[in-house]
Amino acid sequence: MSAKLPPKCPPAADHPLLPKIKEALGDLVLSHGVSPDGLLCVMVPAGSIREVAQRLKALGFDQALSVSAMDYMEEKKFVMLYTFASYLTPELKGILLNVRAEIPRDDPRVASIADIFPSADYDERECHEMFGIWFDGNPHMGKRFLLDPDCCIDEKTGKPLYPLRKDFKVPDWGLFG
Amino acid sequence: MSVVQGLKEYMLRQAKLDRIIKWGIKWSMWPVHLVTSCCGVEVAHTSAPVFDAERWGVLPFNTMRQTNVVLVEGTITRKMAKVLKWVYEQMPEPKFVIAMGACAVRGGLFWNSYHVVQVDTVVPVDAYIPGCPPTPEAVIRAFFMVGNKILGKPGPEVKPVKVDLTPYLPQPKPAAKPAAKPAAPAKPAAAPVAPQTA
Repeated sequence: MSAKLPPKCPPAADHPLLPKIKEALGDLVLSHGVSPDGLLCVMVPAGSIREVAQRLKALGFDQALSVSAMDYMEEKKFVMLYTFASYLTPELKGILLNVRAEIPRDDPRVASIADIFPSADYDERECHEMFGIWFDGNPHMGKRFLLDPDCCIDEKTGKPLYPLRKDFKVPDWGLFG
Repeated sequence: MSVVQGLKEYMLRQAKLDRIIKWGIKWSMWPVHLVTSCCGVEVAHTSAPVFDAERWGVLPFNTMRQTNVVLVEGTITRKMAKVLKWVYEQMPEPKFVIAMGACAVRGGLFWNSYHVVQVDTVVPVDAYIPGCPPTPEAVIRAFFMVGNKILGKPGPEVKPVKVDLTPYLPQPKPAAKPAAKPAAPAKPAAAPVAPQTA
């Protein structure tokens, strides 16, 4: 008998947050599901991410815990992954909401939500640096934030390389040394 | 005055000062912390009362201008490598570097990272301490290694060894398909023969 059982996640239709989300976002929800951790995942169109953020803020979510991306190289798309949470609204305590949006991989652009949720600012700068996604409206795009200024630069073209993309090649100086 | 002068001249003549200076350096190795990872916890343990490395003159001190050993405790990223070089250049001679932990020795968990460097590519390293994290005894042993190095004694030494792991990696499959492909066109070539016989 296994000591640790996998967490039991509710079916997507029974998630306690789902009626509220459907009421708030309406037709912006393309699809929804529940992750193995029990988080409600909502897929929204990438063009309306600002409107989604504003409606979630009106619903009571007061912080963006993380802004990240997933690289689907063979399908030629990035999936943006926003996680929202709330400190102050009692009904939303202990609940995390994942909002996902697909953007094309050759021209990764998405609107910034840093003016709606200020905690998303640093995450967007890091995501820009690691994946090369351009957040329209964030004034810090195109600058180095966490990486070394001399690191991850293509020697031939002088353009920055993005180390968390799947096609990034790690320099093999320390491979078996 | 004349006695001191005479003693000085005598010691210079007998070349004893060199040994005394080395002896003094060996018993006052003061490390400056460069805590970049969890190995700093073990160094705190090293100078705590149980292991008490000050019995051998290892006194953790604050600033790099008053110390003579850099104890690199953990992962060195490319940004932190500049700090390490800067700290090393601020210290007075003679100075020593100890690379502590698997990350400082060869990158450890981050061996193929885009942003982690090995310490010996930045500054010359006198002693390595493998382990993740090393125990306080291992830290004290590294100070003994540096002490042996100062005195010129042969002693135990730990160094990373270069191992070629390529035979154990998954190999790319040899191109066997081109050999099979010429066999496939042979069937269409054989097919026209049948109508001729019919």
